[in-house]
Amino acid sequence: MGRTEMTLEATVNSSPTTIAELVGHRTTETFALLDEESKREIRRALLQAVCIPGYQVPFGSREMPVARGWGSGGLQVTLACVGADDAVKVIDQGDDEGVNAVNLRRLVTMSTGIDETTEVDEATLIQSRHRIPEDDMNENHILILQVPVPEPLRGIERDIRELARMHAEADYSRMWVSLYEDKVRNGVITQSTGYPCLVASRYIVATTPIPRWDIPRLHQSKFLTLFGAGREKRVYAIPPYTDVEPLTFEDVPFEVESADGATCRLCGSSDSFLVEMPGKQESWSCSDTAWCRRQRNT
Amino acid sequence: MTMTMNKTLPILDVKNVSKSFTLHNIDGRTVTALEDASFVVHPGEHVSLAGSSGAGKSTLLRLIYRTYSITAGSVSFRLANDEWVDIAQLSDAEVIALRGREIGYVSQFLHAQPRRSVIDLVARAGVSRGMSTADAHEQAGYSLARLGISRTLWDVHTSVLSGGEKQRVNIAAGLISPPRLLLLDEPVSALDPENRERAIEVIADLSDQGVAVLAVFHDLDAISRLASRIILMSRGSVVTDGPVDQVLPQLTPGDVQP
Amino acid sequence: MTSIHVPSPIIQVRNLGKYYGNFDPAMIDRTGPEHGTARDHVTASIVAAWGVNFDVAAGEALGIVGESGSGKSTVLRCIAGDVAASTGDVRLAPFEDGNVNILDLDPSARRQLRINTLSVVYQDPAEGLALGVTAGGNIADPLTAAGWRNFGAIRDRARELLARTEVPLDRMDDIVRNFSGGMRQRVQIARALANKPPILLLDEPTTGLDASVASGVLDLIRQLLEELQVAAIVVSHDFGVIEMLTERCLVMQHGRVVEDALTDQLLEDPHHPYSQKLVAAART
Repeated sequence: MGRTEMTLEATVNSSPTTIAELVGHRTTETFALLDEESKREIRRALLQAVCIPGYQVPFGSREMPVARGWGSGGLQVTLACVGADDAVKVIDQGDDEGVNAVNLRRLVTMSTGIDETTEVDEATLIQSRHRIPEDDMNENHILILQVPVPEPLRGIERDIRELARMHAEADYSRMWVSLYEDKVRNGVITQSTGYPCLVASRYIVATTPIPRWDIPRLHQSKFLTLFGAGREKRVYAIPPYTDVEPLTFEDVPFEVESADGATCRLCGSSDSFLVEMPGKQESWSCSDTAWCRRQRNT
Repeated sequence: MTMTMNKTLPILDVKNVSKSFTLHNIDGRTVTALEDASFVVHPGEHVSLAGSSGAGKSTLLRLIYRTYSITAGSVSFRLANDEWVDIAQLSDAEVIALRGREIGYVSQFLHAQPRRSVIDLVARAGVSRGMSTADAHEQAGYSLARLGISRTLWDVHTSVLSGGEKQRVNIAAGLISPPRLLLLDEPVSALDPENRERAIEVIADLSDQGVAVLAVFHDLDAISRLASRIILMSRGSVVTDGPVDQVLPQLTPGDVQP
Repeated sequence: MTSIHVPSPIIQVRNLGKYYGNFDPAMIDRTGPEHGTARDHVTASIVAAWGVNFDVAAGEALGIVGESGSGKSTVLRCIAGDVAASTGDVRLAPFEDGNVNILDLDPSARRQLRINTLSVVYQDPAEGLALGVTAGGNIADPLTAAGWRNFGAIRDRARELLARTEVPLDRMDDIVRNFSGGMRQRVQIARALANKPPILLLDEPTTGLDASVASGVLDLIRQLLEELQVAAIVVSHDFGVIEMLTERCLVMQHGRVVEDALTDQLLEDPHHPYSQKLVAAART
């Protein structure tokens, strides 16, 4: 959590404390795009989220220069957390060069003047859609995931009040029934991305939309993970060193994706999350492009 | 009322019992079915209730079993620990506890039962009176055989039985591990002569086992063979209560009509 | 008191009451059987049930009979927690040794009782089942709520319950919407029994089924009540159901209990004018 505190402190320090500073502040361009009030409001929501691991905290999602559904939630979290000393890495499907990743990263660096990087080692804030980087991360990292659908029970119940009640009472039997039905119908639990997980033995969260491959990384992780859903106006968090258990039956082991014998055609790795090259069957490559590049260079 | 030969304490002491029905939906009229009936029954005694149709025989049995509420008087029953309780004053829950184990009632009809095999139904009655499942099954088989229910019928559902078969199953269930007081309401009415004979033998055995029996039969033959005493009733009142040899000659065929 | 051993109560209900609308103490005396209505003409409030008292012991089934609107289902739903009672005291021996009036519990604690203390079988299977879920899945629901996490064990228990309620096992993985009414009711019963609750509430469990189907379901319920030694409350307008399943019963009219009696006594010697009318109607 050390880094979180530092980040927040850095941002607080940049806030005006005297009238003169305030006047000066107003005339300068706002740091990190959002006004201070908005950032505070989001940080308050994030603090609450960290205090209640897995609980979805509502927040007043702002209009962003990206459309909702394009990472606006993750972006707001990043902008609320970023301090002058941070370095940011943004990936989309593991790729630092995805159009959306590039745009979001540019927005963060241009509105803050902080450094950008593709290397996990150098980054302090990592905003991601669909992946957790393959590299080890530690207490110095905050992982920010862009979430399209924050409600893990959405497929089971539509009524918002009933959903709130189910979470409040940890009444998750219908979630278990849906896993049971899935297993009965398909022989396996078919849910692939966004696998539902129980956080700190209390709340079920949607891990949308990371693949199963990344789920074990969340358990007792050294880093803080923040989830931001702009369209749905919710944030939630998995603090460092928190239990994260994918929901599964005792006798139905949780399995991550694997393609037998597949290796990355670029770096030769077989122990990373591989994706099929578009339009080319049986041709695989690492989803995490920065990691793949480093494998080739060492 | 004549002195009984029995030296033991009675098990049942009926005193000044009356029963009337208020028919709220037929101009609120009151119908009296029984008036001021008094008598006692001892363990091992077989007392036959006789009298013409409407004399109040079945009413009396139902009052003792509390299928009818008791309008006036007391129905004292001696528990196994010699404590006397007035059935008229018992709570419904106490009556339920008393039924089956202490007081049994066998009517001419087999009561509505779920689909259950014949042997199961009889054995279950035994279990409800405290027998072990194994003992109850053994005893049930023995009783059914004695009553002429062939083994091929033991595992069928009671719903497929004939009227006479049902009646015998009913007797078997009512008499397994018999309660201390047994109320019989025309239990052999539907039986052919051969099976009737079997049933009468089984009922006769009860007296030897010390069971007090209060029974309504519709034939003089059964009464003469089973009863040790006869209570003759007429129009809701007890007319005569005495030993078989004294009362039997007074009976007319009309006194044993159902 | 006699020395006759009477089993101690599992369910204890005292002064249970439910009204809809505003409360005026005087409305209690302006409604009920003597007034021929549960609706108070002054406040327009409805006194759906008032002053209801009874006990139910383990292994015992208590019947509540009456016409629709008599308040019998209201009583059952107040105990189940589907409807919030207005007043009263309800204690369940298996819950905190009967030291807590469950009507004082918050909704969340009431729902907890439904997991393994108290189950309800409704007239309409859609109320007790998820129709879009398989028969096995419907049973998995209360099991997982009670903490079952082994898929094989859940399957085994579901199979056992469906076999006991005579649902063909080859239909275990079919969704309940495709089942007949009688079969749905059997699945509902299987589900209700999943966690072996000591208390079972049955609300018109065979109403709406064809006569032959109803009698089969009734048979099953009777057998289960004998076998499982649960404390049961059976609400029905049908004396056949009450006679088959219960030894004691209450008669309700316009929100009040007008008679409580041994079931055979109620059928042979009903006292209250309304009971006599009901029994006479049932006998024809």
